Amino acid sequence: MSGATTAAYLARRAAQKERVRILYRRALKDTLNWAVHRHLFYQDASDLREKFEANRHVEDLDTIDKLVAAGEATYDKWRHPDPYIVPWAPGGSKFTRNPVPPSGIEIVYDYGRENND
Amino acid sequence: MAMRAFVLRHIQLPGQTLTATGSKPHPQWYLRASLRLFSSHDDHLTKEEVIDRVLDVVKSFPKVDPSKVTPDVHFQKDLGLDSLDNVEIVMGLEEEFKLEIPDKEADRIDSCNLAIEYIYNHPMAG
Repeated sequence: MSGATTAAYLARRAAQKERVRILYRRALKDTLNWAVHRHLFYQDASDLREKFEANRHVEDLDTIDKLVAAGEATYDKWRHPDPYIVPWAPGGSKFTRNPVPPSGIEIVYDYGRENND
Repeated sequence: MAMRAFVLRHIQLPGQTLTATGSKPHPQWYLRASLRLFSSHDDHLTKEEVIDRVLDVVKSFPKVDPSKVTPDVHFQKDLGLDSLDNVEIVMGLEEEFKLEIPDKEADRIDSCNLAIEYIYNHPMAG
């Protein structure tokens, strides 16, 4: 077996935990995209949490990898085609709507005054 | 079912509530929240507002004991939460402040301190 608490083992476990957390976060957001009405969302979010909790005590690294890959495949399959993104975030409707003008540009307010005045 | 009470409890309704003894002045920041400044210039949240709202969100999480929540509490060490609960709290904060936190940053938010700092320094925190 891989050495119980070697650095490589711990590093791999930590990387897997991070993958799981990011997967859970994306899956939860996706659930909110699909189930907009709150009472439906609570139900679905509980079910999602149950699915994650069922595999909580798996210790074998390869099994964990397979489970995470399967989870990510399920997430990809269920992704919403039109997710809600906060407007100013990339992908939202207000993103780069009013970009900051490049520096060095100066606006001259001469109100149409002509040079022969 | 766990998320239900969480979100129900942290929906705030600004407005007058008359008590039996007459109208009670509500706390200062409620008025500020209902006063919309249409300019984006000075419209940044104050630190106390951020702290109040973040603590409210954390307190209304069903697995959390509200009396233990302080502005420097660590979600996993002090409150005994799980990493998945951490993810849920960060999502609740995103919904409260209408933010979109990138995945890598959200993973790093582990305690109330970090959350308050991140939200306070975020230019678009609503």
